[in-house]
Amino acid sequence: MEDRENKDRAARDAAWAKPVDRLRVSGVPDGALNLNVEGRQLTGPLRGFGKMWQKTYRVRLDGVEATPQEVIAAWKENFSKFWPEGNAFYGPLTGIAPGEVAVLNLSMPGRIPLSTGVMVIFADEESFTFMTPQGHMLAAWITFSAFEEDDTKVVQVQALLRATDPLSEIGLRLFGHKSEDEFWRHTLKALAAHFGVTASVEQQVTCVDPRLQWSQAGNIWHSAALRTPLYAPVHWLRRMIRRS
Amino acid sequence: MSRPQRQFEAAVRGGDGLAIIDLHGEMDGFAEEALNAAYAEATSSEPPAVLLNFSDVDYINSTGIALIVGLLAQARKSHRRLLTCGLSEHYQEIFRITRLADFMSIFPDESAALSELQAS
Repeated sequence: MEDRENKDRAARDAAWAKPVDRLRVSGVPDGALNLNVEGRQLTGPLRGFGKMWQKTYRVRLDGVEATPQEVIAAWKENFSKFWPEGNAFYGPLTGIAPGEVAVLNLSMPGRIPLSTGVMVIFADEESFTFMTPQGHMLAAWITFSAFEEDDTKVVQVQALLRATDPLSEIGLRLFGHKSEDEFWRHTLKALAAHFGVTASVEQQVTCVDPRLQWSQAGNIWHSAALRTPLYAPVHWLRRMIRRS
Repeated sequence: MSRPQRQFEAAVRGGDGLAIIDLHGEMDGFAEEALNAAYAEATSSEPPAVLLNFSDVDYINSTGIALIVGLLAQARKSHRRLLTCGLSEHYQEIFRITRLADFMSIFPDESAALSELQAS
Protein backbone atom coordinates (compact mmCIF):
# COMPACT_ATOMS: atom_id res chain seq x y z
CA MET A 1 0.00 0.00 0.00
CA GLU A 2 2.74 2.40 1.08
CA ASP A 3 4.82 1.36 -1.97
CA ARG A 4 1.96 2.24 -4.27
CA GLU A 5 1.47 5.61 -2.59
CA ASN A 6 5.18 6.36 -3.00
CA LYS A 7 5.02 5.40 -6.68
CA ASP A 8 1.96 7.61 -7.22
CA ARG A 9 3.72 10.49 -5.50
CA ALA A 10 6.87 9.99 -7.57
CA ALA A 11 4.80 9.95 -10.78
CA ARG A 12 3.02 13.14 -9.80
CA ASP A 13 6.26 14.86 -8.77
CA ALA A 14 7.76 13.93 -12.16
CA ALA A 15 5.17 16.17 -13.81
CA TRP A 16 7.27 19.16 -12.71
CA ALA A 17 10.39 20.34 -14.55
CA LYS A 18 13.74 20.26 -12.79
CA PRO A 19 15.28 23.63 -11.88
CA VAL A 20 17.50 25.22 -14.53
CA ASP A 21 19.65 28.35 -14.31
CA ARG A 22 19.46 29.09 -18.02
CA LEU A 23 17.50 27.67 -20.92
CA ARG A 24 19.12 25.34 -23.43
CA VAL A 25 17.61 24.86 -26.88
CA SER A 26 18.04 21.70 -28.92
CA GLY A 27 16.56 20.07 -32.00
CA VAL A 28 15.26 23.26 -33.61
CA PRO A 29 14.47 22.62 -37.30
CA ASP A 30 16.45 24.38 -40.01
CA GLY A 31 13.75 26.83 -41.04
CA ALA A 32 13.18 28.20 -37.55
CA LEU A 33 14.46 31.54 -36.37
CA ASN A 34 16.17 30.58 -33.13
CA LEU A 35 16.90 33.80 -31.25
CA ASN A 36 16.38 35.12 -27.70
CA VAL A 37 15.98 31.75 -25.94
CA GLU A 38 19.39 30.08 -25.50
CA GLY A 39 20.96 31.12 -22.20
CA ARG A 40 17.96 33.12 -21.03
CA GLN A 41 16.46 32.74 -17.55
CA LEU A 42 12.83 32.02 -16.78
CA THR A 43 10.82 34.98 -15.58
CA GLY A 44 7.12 34.42 -14.91
CA PRO A 45 4.45 36.96 -13.98
CA LEU A 46 6.02 38.10 -10.72
CA ARG A 47 9.06 39.48 -12.54
CA GLY A 48 7.20 41.41 -15.21
CA PHE A 49 6.62 45.16 -15.51
CA GLY A 50 2.96 45.84 -16.34
CA LYS A 51 -0.38 45.25 -14.72
CA MET A 52 -0.97 41.62 -13.79
CA TRP A 53 -3.89 39.94 -15.51
CA GLN A 54 -5.54 36.58 -15.22
CA LYS A 55 -7.15 35.61 -18.51
CA THR A 56 -9.24 32.49 -18.84
CA TYR A 57 -10.52 31.16 -22.16
CA ARG A 58 -12.84 28.14 -22.20
CA VAL A 59 -14.61 26.03 -24.75
CA ARG A 60 -17.15 23.28 -24.07
CA LEU A 61 -16.84 20.16 -26.20
CA ASP A 62 -20.52 19.18 -26.17
CA GLY A 63 -21.11 15.57 -27.16
CA VAL A 64 -17.43 14.63 -27.35
CA GLU A 65 -16.74 11.15 -25.97
CA ALA A 66 -12.97 11.58 -25.59
CA THR A 67 -11.69 11.72 -22.03
CA PRO A 68 -9.87 14.83 -20.74
CA GLN A 69 -6.66 12.80 -20.96
CA GLU A 70 -7.34 12.04 -24.63
CA VAL A 71 -8.11 15.70 -25.33
CA ILE A 72 -4.84 16.80 -23.73
CA ALA A 73 -2.90 14.11 -25.63
CA ALA A 74 -4.36 15.39 -28.93
CA TRP A 75 -3.59 18.98 -27.92
CA LYS A 76 0.04 18.18 -27.09
CA GLU A 77 0.47 16.27 -30.34
CA ASN A 78 -1.02 19.02 -32.53
CA PHE A 79 -0.14 22.05 -30.46
CA SER A 80 1.25 24.22 -33.26
CA LYS A 81 -1.41 23.15 -35.79
CA PHE A 82 -4.12 24.82 -33.73
CA TRP A 83 -2.34 28.18 -33.73
CA PRO A 84 -3.29 31.02 -36.08
CA GLU A 85 -1.43 31.09 -39.40
CA GLY A 86 1.95 32.83 -39.39
CA ASN A 87 2.91 31.60 -35.90
CA ALA A 88 5.07 28.56 -35.25
CA PHE A 89 5.88 26.49 -32.17
CA TYR A 90 9.10 24.50 -32.58
CA GLY A 91 8.97 21.97 -29.78
CA PRO A 92 11.44 19.18 -29.18
CA LEU A 93 10.91 15.80 -30.85
CA THR A 94 10.11 14.34 -27.45
CA GLY A 95 6.99 16.51 -27.38
CA ILE A 96 5.52 18.65 -24.64
CA ALA A 97 7.17 17.24 -21.53
CA PRO A 98 8.44 18.76 -18.26
CA GLY A 99 11.67 20.72 -18.74
CA GLU A 100 11.47 20.88 -22.54
CA VAL A 101 12.14 24.22 -24.22
CA ALA A 102 10.34 25.33 -27.37
CA VAL A 103 11.20 28.14 -29.77
CA LEU A 104 8.33 30.35 -30.91
CA ASN A 105 8.31 32.30 -34.17
CA LEU A 106 5.48 34.77 -33.94
CA SER A 107 4.12 37.30 -36.37
CA MET A 108 3.74 40.77 -34.85
CA PRO A 109 1.60 43.58 -36.24
CA GLY A 110 3.12 44.80 -39.51
CA ARG A 111 4.35 41.22 -40.11
CA ILE A 112 7.43 41.91 -37.98
CA PRO A 113 8.94 38.55 -36.99
CA LEU A 114 9.51 37.78 -33.35
CA SER A 115 11.57 34.90 -32.02
CA THR A 116 11.20 33.88 -28.40
CA GLY A 117 10.43 30.71 -26.45
CA VAL A 118 8.76 28.95 -23.56
CA MET A 119 9.68 26.22 -21.13
CA VAL A 120 7.29 23.43 -20.21
CA ILE A 121 7.27 23.82 -16.45
CA PHE A 122 4.60 21.20 -15.75
CA ALA A 123 2.92 18.48 -17.79
CA ASP A 124 0.70 15.63 -16.76
CA GLU A 125 -2.14 13.78 -18.48
CA GLU A 126 -4.75 16.47 -17.85
CA SER A 127 -2.81 19.72 -18.13
CA PHE A 128 0.45 21.38 -19.08
CA THR A 129 1.97 24.75 -18.24
CA PHE A 130 4.40 27.06 -20.02
CA MET A 131 6.58 29.69 -18.41
CA THR A 132 8.22 32.43 -20.43
CA PRO A 133 11.89 33.45 -20.46
CA GLN A 134 13.54 36.88 -20.34
CA GLY A 135 12.77 38.85 -23.49
CA HIS A 136 9.35 37.36 -24.14
CA MET A 137 6.86 40.25 -24.40
CA LEU A 138 4.78 38.61 -21.67
CA ALA A 139 6.11 37.52 -18.30
CA ALA A 140 3.60 34.72 -18.11
CA TRP A 141 2.48 31.41 -16.77
CA ILE A 142 0.00 29.72 -19.10
CA THR A 143 -1.85 26.53 -18.18
CA PHE A 144 -3.71 24.38 -20.69
CA SER A 145 -6.14 21.91 -19.20
CA ALA A 146 -9.12 19.69 -19.91
CA PHE A 147 -11.70 18.51 -17.39
CA GLU A 148 -15.31 17.43 -16.97
CA GLU A 149 -17.94 19.90 -15.86
CA ASP A 150 -21.65 19.06 -15.79
CA ASP A 151 -20.99 15.91 -17.85
CA THR A 152 -19.28 17.92 -20.59
CA LYS A 153 -15.61 18.11 -21.43
CA VAL A 154 -14.24 21.59 -20.99
CA VAL A 155 -10.95 22.78 -22.44
CA GLN A 156 -9.28 25.79 -20.90
CA VAL A 157 -6.36 28.15 -21.40
CA GLN A 158 -5.57 30.19 -18.31
CA ALA A 159 -2.83 32.81 -18.45
CA LEU A 160 -1.41 34.76 -15.55
CA LEU A 161 0.61 37.49 -17.19
CA ARG A 162 2.21 40.90 -17.11
CA ALA A 163 3.86 42.81 -19.92
CA THR A 164 7.57 42.20 -19.46
CA ASP A 165 8.79 45.76 -19.97
CA PRO A 166 7.46 49.30 -20.62
CA LEU A 167 7.45 48.84 -24.41
CA SER A 168 5.49 45.60 -24.14
CA GLU A 169 3.04 47.29 -21.74
CA ILE A 170 2.34 50.01 -24.31
CA GLY A 171 1.98 47.36 -27.03
CA LEU A 172 -0.32 45.29 -24.83
CA ARG A 173 -2.60 48.26 -24.15
CA LEU A 174 -2.70 49.38 -27.80
CA PHE A 175 -3.21 46.05 -29.56
CA GLY A 176 -1.65 43.24 -27.54
CA HIS A 177 -4.66 42.29 -25.42
CA LYS A 178 -6.84 42.04 -28.53
CA SER A 179 -4.21 39.96 -30.36
CA GLU A 180 -3.70 37.71 -27.34
CA ASP A 181 -7.45 37.15 -27.00
CA GLU A 182 -7.83 36.41 -30.72
CA PHE A 183 -4.85 34.03 -30.59
CA TRP A 184 -6.27 31.80 -27.86
CA ARG A 185 -9.84 32.00 -29.14
CA HIS A 186 -8.59 30.78 -32.53
CA THR A 187 -6.59 28.02 -30.84
CA LEU A 188 -9.54 26.75 -28.80
CA LYS A 189 -11.90 26.87 -31.78
CA ALA A 190 -9.36 24.89 -33.83
CA LEU A 191 -9.04 22.34 -31.03
CA ALA A 192 -12.82 22.03 -30.79
CA ALA A 193 -13.00 21.60 -34.59
CA HIS A 194 -10.44 18.79 -34.30
CA PHE A 195 -13.05 16.97 -32.20
CA GLY A 196 -15.83 17.87 -34.66
CA VAL A 197 -17.36 20.62 -32.51
CA THR A 198 -18.20 24.17 -33.57
CA ALA A 199 -18.05 26.06 -30.33
CA SER A 200 -17.92 29.58 -28.99
CA VAL A 201 -15.20 30.58 -26.57
CA GLU A 202 -16.02 32.00 -23.13
CA GLN A 203 -13.56 34.54 -21.82
CA GLN A 204 -12.95 35.96 -18.37
CA VAL A 205 -10.40 38.67 -17.58
CA THR A 206 -9.40 39.82 -14.09
CA CYS A 207 -6.84 42.44 -13.17
CA VAL A 208 -4.93 40.79 -10.31
CA ASP A 209 -2.56 43.70 -9.68
CA PRO A 210 -3.02 47.13 -11.31
CA ARG A 211 0.41 48.41 -10.34
CA LEU A 212 3.36 48.85 -12.69
CA GLN A 213 6.58 47.33 -11.31
CA TRP A 214 9.08 50.03 -12.22
CA SER A 215 11.86 47.98 -10.61
CA GLN A 216 11.46 45.59 -13.58
CA ALA A 217 11.65 48.29 -16.30
CA GLY A 218 15.19 47.17 -17.15
CA ASN A 219 13.74 43.95 -18.59
CA ILE A 220 13.61 45.87 -21.87
CA TRP A 221 17.33 45.07 -22.35
CA HIS A 222 16.36 41.50 -23.29
CA SER A 223 13.30 42.46 -25.36
CA ALA A 224 12.78 39.93 -28.14
CA ALA A 225 10.52 42.47 -29.89
CA LEU A 226 13.51 44.82 -30.25
CA ARG A 227 16.22 42.21 -30.71
CA THR A 228 14.58 39.97 -33.29
CA PRO A 229 14.38 42.58 -36.09
CA LEU A 230 17.96 43.62 -35.26
CA TYR A 231 19.49 40.16 -35.22
CA ALA A 232 17.31 38.27 -37.70
CA PRO A 233 19.17 39.56 -40.80
CA VAL A 234 22.50 38.48 -39.26
CA HIS A 235 20.99 35.08 -38.45
CA TRP A 236 19.75 34.56 -42.03
CA LEU A 237 23.09 35.77 -43.50
CA ARG A 238 25.08 33.36 -41.34
CA ARG A 239 22.84 30.52 -42.42
CA MET A 240 23.25 31.37 -46.10
CA ILE A 241 27.03 31.47 -45.70
CA ARG A 242 27.03 28.08 -43.92
CA ARG A 243 24.98 26.55 -46.75
CA SER A 244 27.12 27.95 -49.59
CA MET B 1 -8.66 17.80 -13.80
CA SER B 2 -9.82 14.81 -11.76
CA ARG B 3 -11.22 15.31 -8.31
CA PRO B 4 -8.31 15.29 -5.84
CA GLN B 5 -7.66 12.23 -3.68
CA ARG B 6 -7.84 14.42 -0.57
CA GLN B 7 -9.99 17.52 -0.84
CA PHE B 8 -8.35 20.85 -0.15
CA GLU B 9 -9.19 22.69 3.06
CA ALA B 10 -7.82 25.87 4.60
CA ALA B 11 -8.18 27.09 8.18
CA VAL B 12 -7.19 30.50 9.55
CA ARG B 13 -5.71 31.27 12.96
CA GLY B 14 -3.45 33.90 14.50
CA GLY B 15 -3.57 37.41 15.81
CA ASP B 16 -2.77 40.98 14.86
CA GLY B 17 0.87 40.60 13.88
CA LEU B 18 0.56 37.44 11.84
CA ALA B 19 -2.28 35.44 10.35
CA ILE B 20 -1.60 31.76 9.72
CA ILE B 21 -3.43 29.75 7.07
CA ASP B 22 -3.14 26.00 7.62
CA LEU B 23 -3.51 24.26 4.27
CA HIS B 24 -4.61 20.63 3.98
CA GLY B 25 -5.01 18.19 1.10
CA GLU B 26 -4.25 18.77 -2.57
CA MET B 27 -3.81 22.19 -4.15
CA ASP B 28 -5.19 22.32 -7.66
CA GLY B 29 -7.96 24.14 -9.50
CA PHE B 30 -10.52 22.87 -6.98
CA ALA B 31 -8.69 24.72 -4.18
CA GLU B 32 -9.37 28.19 -5.57
CA GLU B 33 -12.55 29.03 -3.69
CA ALA B 34 -11.38 27.74 -0.29
CA LEU B 35 -7.94 29.34 -0.62
CA ASN B 36 -9.26 32.75 -1.63
CA ALA B 37 -11.88 32.66 1.15
CA ALA B 38 -9.20 31.80 3.72
CA TYR B 39 -6.94 34.58 2.47
CA ALA B 40 -9.80 37.10 2.65
CA GLU B 41 -10.54 35.98 6.24
CA ALA B 42 -6.86 36.08 7.19
CA THR B 43 -6.38 39.62 5.89
CA SER B 44 -9.65 41.04 7.25
CA SER B 45 -7.81 42.28 10.37
CA GLU B 46 -5.05 43.81 8.19
CA PRO B 47 -2.10 41.81 9.57
CA PRO B 48 1.29 42.88 8.19
CA ALA B 49 2.17 39.28 7.35
CA VAL B 50 0.44 36.05 6.39
CA LEU B 51 2.04 32.62 6.82
CA LEU B 52 0.94 29.78 4.54
CA ASN B 53 1.51 26.49 6.33
CA PHE B 54 1.99 23.70 3.77
CA SER B 55 2.95 20.95 6.21
CA ASP B 56 -0.25 18.97 5.50
CA VAL B 57 -0.36 19.56 1.74
CA ASP B 58 0.13 16.35 -0.25
CA TYR B 59 0.32 17.71 -3.76
CA ILE B 60 0.44 20.99 -5.70
CA ASN B 61 -0.07 21.12 -9.45
CA SER B 62 0.57 24.05 -11.78
CA THR B 63 -2.90 25.51 -11.22
CA GLY B 64 -2.21 25.40 -7.47
CA ILE B 65 1.03 27.32 -8.02
CA ALA B 66 -0.89 29.87 -10.12
CA LEU B 67 -3.26 30.35 -7.17
CA ILE B 68 -0.29 31.09 -4.91
CA VAL B 69 1.08 33.55 -7.49
CA GLY B 70 -2.30 35.30 -7.40
CA LEU B 71 -2.22 35.50 -3.58
CA LEU B 72 1.31 36.85 -3.70
CA ALA B 73 0.26 39.56 -6.15
CA GLN B 74 -2.59 40.55 -3.80
CA ALA B 75 -0.22 40.58 -0.81
CA ARG B 76 2.35 42.75 -2.60
CA LYS B 77 -0.36 45.17 -3.67
CA SER B 78 -1.26 45.61 0.03
CA HIS B 79 2.40 45.78 1.11
CA ARG B 80 1.88 42.61 3.12
CA ARG B 81 4.51 39.88 3.55
CA LEU B 82 3.57 36.39 2.48
CA LEU B 83 5.62 33.65 4.12
CA THR B 84 5.57 29.89 3.77
CA CYS B 85 6.51 26.99 5.97
CA GLY B 86 6.27 23.21 5.87
CA LEU B 87 7.07 22.79 2.16
CA SER B 88 8.71 19.50 1.25
CA GLU B 89 12.12 19.54 -0.46
CA HIS B 90 10.40 18.86 -3.76
CA TYR B 91 8.04 21.83 -3.48
CA GLN B 92 10.79 24.13 -2.23
CA GLU B 93 12.49 23.26 -5.53
CA ILE B 94 9.27 24.07 -7.42
CA PHE B 95 9.05 27.43 -5.63
CA ARG B 96 12.61 28.15 -6.78
CA ILE B 97 12.06 27.22 -10.43
CA THR B 98 8.81 29.18 -10.60
CA ARG B 99 10.57 32.20 -9.03
CA LEU B 100 8.06 32.28 -6.15
CA ALA B 101 11.02 31.90 -3.81
CA ASP B 102 12.30 35.30 -4.99
CA PHE B 103 9.26 36.94 -3.42
CA MET B 104 8.30 34.70 -0.50
CA SER B 105 10.38 33.70 2.50
CA ILE B 106 10.45 29.92 2.92
CA PHE B 107 10.85 28.50 6.41
CA PRO B 108 11.18 24.87 7.42
CA ASP B 109 8.45 25.16 10.07
CA GLU B 110 6.13 27.56 11.85
CA SER B 111 8.46 28.27 14.78
CA ALA B 112 11.29 29.28 12.42
CA ALA B 113 8.93 31.69 10.64
CA LEU B 114 7.73 33.16 13.95
CA SER B 115 11.32 33.59 15.22
CA GLU B 116 12.26 35.47 12.06
CA LEU B 117 9.21 37.71 12.28
CA GLN B 118 9.90 38.55 15.93
CA ALA B 119 13.53 39.35 15.11
CA SER B 120 12.66 41.62 12.18
